[in-house]
Amino acid sequence: MAESQPALQSLVAEFDDVDSVSAAARAVRDAGFQHFDVYSPFPIHGIERSMGLRATRLPWIVLGMGLTGTTLALFFQWWANAHDYPFKISAKPLFGIPANIPITFEFTVLLAAFGAFFGMLVLNRLPEHHNELFDNPRFRRATDDGFFLAVEARDARFDTRRTRELLQSFSKHPVVECHASTESRAFPIWVRAALAGAGALALLPFAGIVNARFRDATSPAFHLIKDMDSQPRYRAQAANPYFADGRAQRPDVAGAVAFDHFLTDPKTLTGRDGENFCGTIPLPVSDQTMLRGQQRFAVYCTPCHGQAGYGDGLVAQRAANLQEPNWVPPASLHDPVVRARAVGQIFDTIRNGVRTMPAYGRQIGIEDSWAIVAYVRALQRSQNATVEDVPPAERASLGTR
Amino acid sequence: MSSQRTAVENLGARGRSWGRIALVLGIAGLALGLWLGSARGDGFRRFEHAWLVSCLFFLSLSLGALFFVIIQHLVRAGWSVVVRRVAEIVAANTLVTALLFAPLVVQLLRGDSSLWPWADANTVHGNPLLEGKAGFLEPRFFALRCVLYFGIWILLGRWLLRRSTEQDTAQDAKPTLALERRAAPAMVAYALSVNFGAFDILMTLEPTWASTIFGVCFFAGSVIGFFALSILLLRFLQARGFMRASVGVEHYHDLGKFLFAFVFFWGYVSFSQFMLIWYADMPEETFWFRERFHGTWANVSWVLLFGHFVLPFAALLSRHTKRALGVLAFLAVWMLCMHAVELFWLVMPTAEKDGALVSGMDAACFVAVGGIWFFALARLAGERSLVPVGDPRLPESLAFENS
Repeated sequence: MAESQPALQSLVAEFDDVDSVSAAARAVRDAGFQHFDVYSPFPIHGIERSMGLRATRLPWIVLGMGLTGTTLALFFQWWANAHDYPFKISAKPLFGIPANIPITFEFTVLLAAFGAFFGMLVLNRLPEHHNELFDNPRFRRATDDGFFLAVEARDARFDTRRTRELLQSFSKHPVVECHASTESRAFPIWVRAALAGAGALALLPFAGIVNARFRDATSPAFHLIKDMDSQPRYRAQAANPYFADGRAQRPDVAGAVAFDHFLTDPKTLTGRDGENFCGTIPLPVSDQTMLRGQQRFAVYCTPCHGQAGYGDGLVAQRAANLQEPNWVPPASLHDPVVRARAVGQIFDTIRNGVRTMPAYGRQIGIEDSWAIVAYVRALQRSQNATVEDVPPAERASLGTR
Repeated sequence: MSSQRTAVENLGARGRSWGRIALVLGIAGLALGLWLGSARGDGFRRFEHAWLVSCLFFLSLSLGALFFVIIQHLVRAGWSVVVRRVAEIVAANTLVTALLFAPLVVQLLRGDSSLWPWADANTVHGNPLLEGKAGFLEPRFFALRCVLYFGIWILLGRWLLRRSTEQDTAQDAKPTLALERRAAPAMVAYALSVNFGAFDILMTLEPTWASTIFGVCFFAGSVIGFFALSILLLRFLQARGFMRASVGVEHYHDLGKFLFAFVFFWGYVSFSQFMLIWYADMPEETFWFRERFHGTWANVSWVLLFGHFVLPFAALLSRHTKRALGVLAFLAVWMLCMHAVELFWLVMPTAEKDGALVSGMDAACFVAVGGIWFFALARLAGERSLVPVGDPRLPESLAFENS
């Protein structure tokens, strides 16, 4: 008997409506059973009380995951922006709570949702790919119009005869036995192979990272998304057999003339007169030049040197606030040393940089650089002016003397 | 579980006696407030601010109720039928608030700019921001807009209550169907009027400051205020023997869920407003928060962050606190207090630049407006059934269960 008949798993009673299955659930609960379940096509309000289920622990999982998300997000933003690579831009604190709230909020919600979804799966022991109840063809009505109650044989109070009588007293349909499946419960071999293969593939990116991290590469980096990085064109100094001289780079056609400004004077281009710096601005200076210089100064110079040139720009102030160890404070343009410099040297500094000041030759044109020099000179004079510098006709309006 | 009609319950004589008590308190508060206000010798400037806070507090309760009632019809909600009548009565109680608010507008029309500084030509002159708004912020146009806003609120509230009361004795579902049909346009009118009402009445206290989410923040606070009031009114009525057969823990649970949701919504929109201004760091926007972090106002700001958002959020998170009626009632009282603090924090920094100061006059104004408002509320309730006994979804509401 034991060989031919697999072990009894549960007794299954079938019902036609919510009220009768709920009544049966209450009776089974009151009889002291622990291991039984109700199957219905839709949620039944109050069935958890009829079955005597304890309150779910899922909210605690969600809360724990949510708090984990909050902590992780805050920690990672602090670590990334304030600790590992301090983010020193704008006048914001390195770790300002308000700026970090959106990501913290999103991550809290994300992990809480993960907690709710996966916690529900785990607590319900899902996914379950097979259950013996499915062997009974009538059980399919549980997704349509049937209500079922199954009492499991592993329950301490289970007694085949008495439990069957209890269930039968509530159900119009015959109570049926549910036996363990004769089929193996294990996953089919192809499913296991596919899972193992997917798991191995999932490790590949990590293997690649480890490989890149600990080995010196001899070839260029793997370039997956090329954008417009590699274009079919010749580079400067490259060879091109199409031309007789074999050079890709073509010289100007004989007699070509630039249609734009064409500055050739070495003094204008370099600010040097032979070995020495020029003492005068080699271009004509007008009101237009001064206004242009003021405007370019405001764009390029004020962030560090400040509006009046005292070296108190916003960048310098912030660097001082952060007590940056490698920061060289920008010079005050009113320092006697700077005031004594030839205009050519100021021009040279703008073009080529000095100490930690970068070269602005690429951003600022030759004429604009000279315009800034002219404006700096005017600025220096304005900060060290006396009443004698003011034209006599204007002196009265100052209210002095 | 039963589908029989519940017995008609109304406040009757007890409502009239509660109304009389409220009216006496209100008039006493009014007299005391006016006396304290005149004793300050500032031309009632501070009194007007205190009066505005109190009017806005009780107005916002009605506005929150209006939102609740409209959305119940909009989504054809079944669970809320038994608690809806109380909300309808609160929502319809805006005429009295309009009358209490009117003196402030009359003062404005008479040239008193102590509440809304844009009414003073000297303030506007030379300020490009205010000169640009001068066409809109003009006392007569402002008064016209106030009439429009209050008109919408009064008509909506009265209509919702009248049709719902008709359903109590109607033979068919016509009144309910009419309510459902017109709920959508009503919601549009409600959203626009509340948003622009908040801009006009509250935000122009600082006429150079602007925040497009301000109306939503005010709305969120209003809805919180209403749900807290609703829980307390139902507890009060049940403790005195009313509505015991109809309203149960399941309905409180859902009101608690709404309270919880809007506590978070309030935190979300208020923080969004703060963060964008903090991040952009523009002087013409940040000054509004600077004022609210100046002196003792900073303490009030922190109280709002934790008392209006963090703590009630944590407290209402659990299902158990929403179903433990004593705890829920305590949290409702707490949220009503916080709602009052928030309105005080929105209005008062313009009058109390140096720090938060609450005086007896503030309390007197609150009692005055509150007393008169509750008197009108009791009169509106009157002989009306406290439960919409003729509502076609009443059985669904009576049998309602949270799973």
